[in-house]
Amino acid sequence: MNNIALGRYIPMNSVVHKLDPRYKIIAMFILLVAVFLPTGFQGYGILAVFVLGTLLLAKLKLNFIIKAMKPMMFMLVFLLVINILVLRTGYVLFSYGGFTIYSDAIFQTLYITVRLALMIMITTVLTATTKPLDLTLGIEDLLSPFKRFHVPAHEIAMMISIALRFIPTLIEETDRIMKAQASRGVDLKEGKFKEKIMAILSLIVPLFVSSFQRAEDLADAMEARGYVPSQSRTRYKQLKRTWKDTVMILITLSVLGLMFFLAFR
Amino acid sequence: MPIAFEKVSYEYSVGTPFAHGALNEVDLAIEMGKVTAIIGSTGSGKTTLVQHLNALLLPTSGTVLVLDRTITSKNKPKSLKSLRKNVGLVFQFPEYQLFEETIIKDVMFGPLNFGCTQEEAYTKSCNALKVCGIDESLFEKSPLDLSGGQKRRVAIAGILAIDPQVLVLDEPTAGLDPQGSKQMMQLFMQLNRQYEKTVLIVTHDMEHVLNYCDNVVVMNEGKVLTHQRVSDFFNDLKLLQNMNINPPHVLYLREELKRCGFHLSDGLHDLTSLAKAIAAEVNSHE
Repeated sequence: MNNIALGRYIPMNSVVHKLDPRYKIIAMFILLVAVFLPTGFQGYGILAVFVLGTLLLAKLKLNFIIKAMKPMMFMLVFLLVINILVLRTGYVLFSYGGFTIYSDAIFQTLYITVRLALMIMITTVLTATTKPLDLTLGIEDLLSPFKRFHVPAHEIAMMISIALRFIPTLIEETDRIMKAQASRGVDLKEGKFKEKIMAILSLIVPLFVSSFQRAEDLADAMEARGYVPSQSRTRYKQLKRTWKDTVMILITLSVLGLMFFLAFR
Repeated sequence: MPIAFEKVSYEYSVGTPFAHGALNEVDLAIEMGKVTAIIGSTGSGKTTLVQHLNALLLPTSGTVLVLDRTITSKNKPKSLKSLRKNVGLVFQFPEYQLFEETIIKDVMFGPLNFGCTQEEAYTKSCNALKVCGIDESLFEKSPLDLSGGQKRRVAIAGILAIDPQVLVLDEPTAGLDPQGSKQMMQLFMQLNRQYEKTVLIVTHDMEHVLNYCDNVVVMNEGKVLTHQRVSDFFNDLKLLQNMNINPPHVLYLREELKRCGFHLSDGLHDLTSLAKAIAAEVNSHE
């Protein structure tokens, strides 16, 4: 249960960790746009080198990223199957009876795989190098210009930070309840269908009960300290832009420019 | 020796940047048919230790022997169900594991999982609930409507109904009022004396250790610091001080009186005999 890698913060002491979260979020969006440009494998090669360089700079290990991509495997298999069944262009790679696999099916799957892998790498660099609370501060600041269009920037940021804050707690809680029920003979892996349903129920009901309890307690605690969402408030942690952030944004913009060039030359 | 740890180490999140050891080459043998207390500061590995007893955690290295079964890192969870029937583990704040519509159904959940028929499960559950002091009129109520203390009794009954040979309790009295925790401890004593169950209790309360337990295991930073009879353990007050353990009130009173010039022997562990000794001392001076 404790091995979930996707979206996890890895405390390290690197340049990337110390960048301003606002600019990191902007850079992530710039890079995601770059990934969606139809640049072909050449462009993706350059992007991959760039992202791997960032990983190195952030002192993240490659197998952490690979672990983060594991949940994607199922989707890729699914994609491959769909592509093989649907795409009927390109030359024939393999034929048996009435069943043929065309080159474009494989090619297309590979293309999407590379795209997805890049996207996950980029977002993982952001989440692994930025503390969840800094991330929400960044989101709040980036959303605040939209306040005049009645976008509740602070409320959204507060909800995100509460949600993020309680993910580890919920994982811990799930783990605890699973163990407690295992002590009562629950076996999530085997048994008849009805037994399995009971096993899942025995996990979910207590989890819901304690989550609601926790939410109520949290709401009370916030109210007791006079929390009013719309009130303007000062912050302990101030985000400051440095020359490093400027350099980073300039680099990512030039990467985007290069991708534009490759896509539309 | 039916429960023994041999060079057991356990590490959390092996192979990730978050890896940290919780147990470090623990050697320990638990006496059957006795009440053993496991004490130690937070993070000393008490909970990790007891979770090895019914193989919720498998040791990273070393072996655990429990009731003629050997648990090593290579065991498959499949073969462990019969072990869990014989070693009942009650977690900290067990009231959070209640989920059924009625109390009786929730308590029957365990026995049914271990292959009892409906009737057997019902009888066992009724008995367990009665032993835990839950009145029959409550059986058909929702467990969520009960008070905190009652919920905990129901949760403990849920383990007792499985009728394990060894009962392991992780801080069973945490968050209960003094009256409630006293009743709880008396319940465990009754289970030990009357039904001859081996009881292991993780606790922070030295009063409970002194008054109810036979043996005591002190954990510190993933290692067993000492394992002794309770009567011997509380005689060595220097050792207690070194381990940052506050002695129970009775012993504290005795030591303070000694410091003020009373002549009291070391064997005095309970209030009545201490009072008698003080009275004798006072009388001899008059």
